[in-house]
Amino acid sequence: MTAGAPTRGRPLEFSGISKHFGPVLAVDDLSFTVEPGRVTGFLGPNGSGKTTTLRMLLGLVHPSAGTATIGGRNYWDLDNPSSTVGAVLEATSFHPARRARTHLVMAARAGGHDDARADEVLELVGLTGDAKRKVGGFSMGMRQRLELATALIGDPDVLILDEPSNGLDPQGIAWLRDFMRYLAGEGRTVLVSSHLLSEMAQTIDDAVIVSFGQLKAQGTLEQITSNLTGVVMRARTPEADRLCGVLTGAHVAFRRLSHDEVAMDGVTPEQVGPLLATNQIVLYELTQEGADLESVFLSLTAGLGFGDVAAHE
Amino acid sequence: MINSIRAELIKMRTMPGVWVTFGLAFPLAVLVILGVLAGAGGFPGHTFYFVQTLRQRRELLGAGYFGIEVLAPIMGVLCVTGEYRHKTITTTLVLTPVRTRVLAAKVAVTALWSVFLVLLTLVAVAVVALPWNAALGGVTSGVTDQVGAVVPGLLASAILLGLFGLGFGTLVKNQVAAILLTIGGTLILESLLVALVKAILHYNLNWLPTAAGAALAGDIARGFGGGGGGMREGVRLLTWWQGGLVMLLWGLVPLTIGYYTTFRRDVT
Repeated sequence: MTAGAPTRGRPLEFSGISKHFGPVLAVDDLSFTVEPGRVTGFLGPNGSGKTTTLRMLLGLVHPSAGTATIGGRNYWDLDNPSSTVGAVLEATSFHPARRARTHLVMAARAGGHDDARADEVLELVGLTGDAKRKVGGFSMGMRQRLELATALIGDPDVLILDEPSNGLDPQGIAWLRDFMRYLAGEGRTVLVSSHLLSEMAQTIDDAVIVSFGQLKAQGTLEQITSNLTGVVMRARTPEADRLCGVLTGAHVAFRRLSHDEVAMDGVTPEQVGPLLATNQIVLYELTQEGADLESVFLSLTAGLGFGDVAAHE
Repeated sequence: MINSIRAELIKMRTMPGVWVTFGLAFPLAVLVILGVLAGAGGFPGHTFYFVQTLRQRRELLGAGYFGIEVLAPIMGVLCVTGEYRHKTITTTLVLTPVRTRVLAAKVAVTALWSVFLVLLTLVAVAVVALPWNAALGGVTSGVTDQVGAVVPGLLASAILLGLFGLGFGTLVKNQVAAILLTIGGTLILESLLVALVKAILHYNLNWLPTAAGAALAGDIARGFGGGGGGMREGVRLLTWWQGGLVMLLWGLVPLTIGYYTTFRRDVT
């Protein structure tokens, strides 16, 4: 927990949680804990089960096995859910004919809060000037802000954010980053899922990395990256295309950095050297680099999701 | 529960489709008023006449039933299908995770708005029918004396028709399909079935939704009910309490099935 932060958050505990959608196993025996007073990144490629996991926590999706609790209780058993948990799940869950303030008043009343709370959260997310506009005319970024305002309506101890920076402009993303840090600084629990790794690296204290519904890593950002330090190899070669083919055949996660540069994740010099020699690939340079969140993510998820990351950055 | 009802009231108030049903209820009531006055008869050479018989007086007072028979179920459909159409169900269930509570709030709010619908049609009677009838020579008190005989049935029928729509919407979920099926079912399908079964099998098919609703509403629904209309003539309706009971089942059965088959399912 951040030093000196008040403890108003509640821990989230996922215990052996699984979800089958017919024959598809979306979440596979996932167990991890999210601590109060910290921003925890829930990272994984598209389709890795992040959204399903968060929806199981909120009772929207019924688990096939296991439990997900907030402070030891199921979400639907909480006395005042909106004062305990605020959730940003999708930026499209608005009636287009409803005005922003009306939507928030509706949310306030559903949670048993005062109508004036709608004005407070509108100001908090910078939408006061748009309070009387119909949501149908909102941009994606404005909808995200309104969704965040809805989540904050009960001044919750726990904030769940599923891809919250989708549609936000750079200023909006920076604002969201500061906002999440501010909330965690107040001792609240903040769990944020994303595939924007560079953005997450600047925001989160802890990370939970999943792939194919399974837990791949959990810990502080420092722990996760230090565990894999030295396993990123960068090669400069006139035969980059052929190298990529060799790496694919050897099931090594890699990124094409330029026409003659390739970064290989999760491998050591002892593994790469013989592979290059066997395939007689000409090298201009082979260097070992410290791992960053993106390298860790790619090594743990076997390169899945890199295309998504690149497309959004 | 009160919190959920307050939230549902805002949702209904801010749904354009609900106001369309209200916008249609008034002119439809006026249309029936014209029909009653035109059909009153007794003064050759005139197009409109004041109402004279007990049934005419009750029909004038319950003129709104023609629209209510279709519009109340549509309002019930809108109350629940709007959540799926605009994906607001996610926000609704995050704010109120106990789903039975959400559904109970929707039942309460649909009932309340069905009452508003009836009140609106009574306004049409008050501002159009009564002055017109008086101007033609009718006695206003002859109509208003029938409030006790007409309005309770009208209200009960509207509430249960709304519940029927809510249950149907919970079951079908797709808003457009649910509305089309409601309109087609009440205006066309049920009328045809009632008439065909009566003609071919000589059986009183009087337990379908609008026929049961008409039984609950009483005299006012015999001639001008949207679902039965002229085709309902000659069909022996259930008694009012039988009609009420059947209507309650038409509401609760689809609502229960809809809860277990769709409303309780995963929201992905």
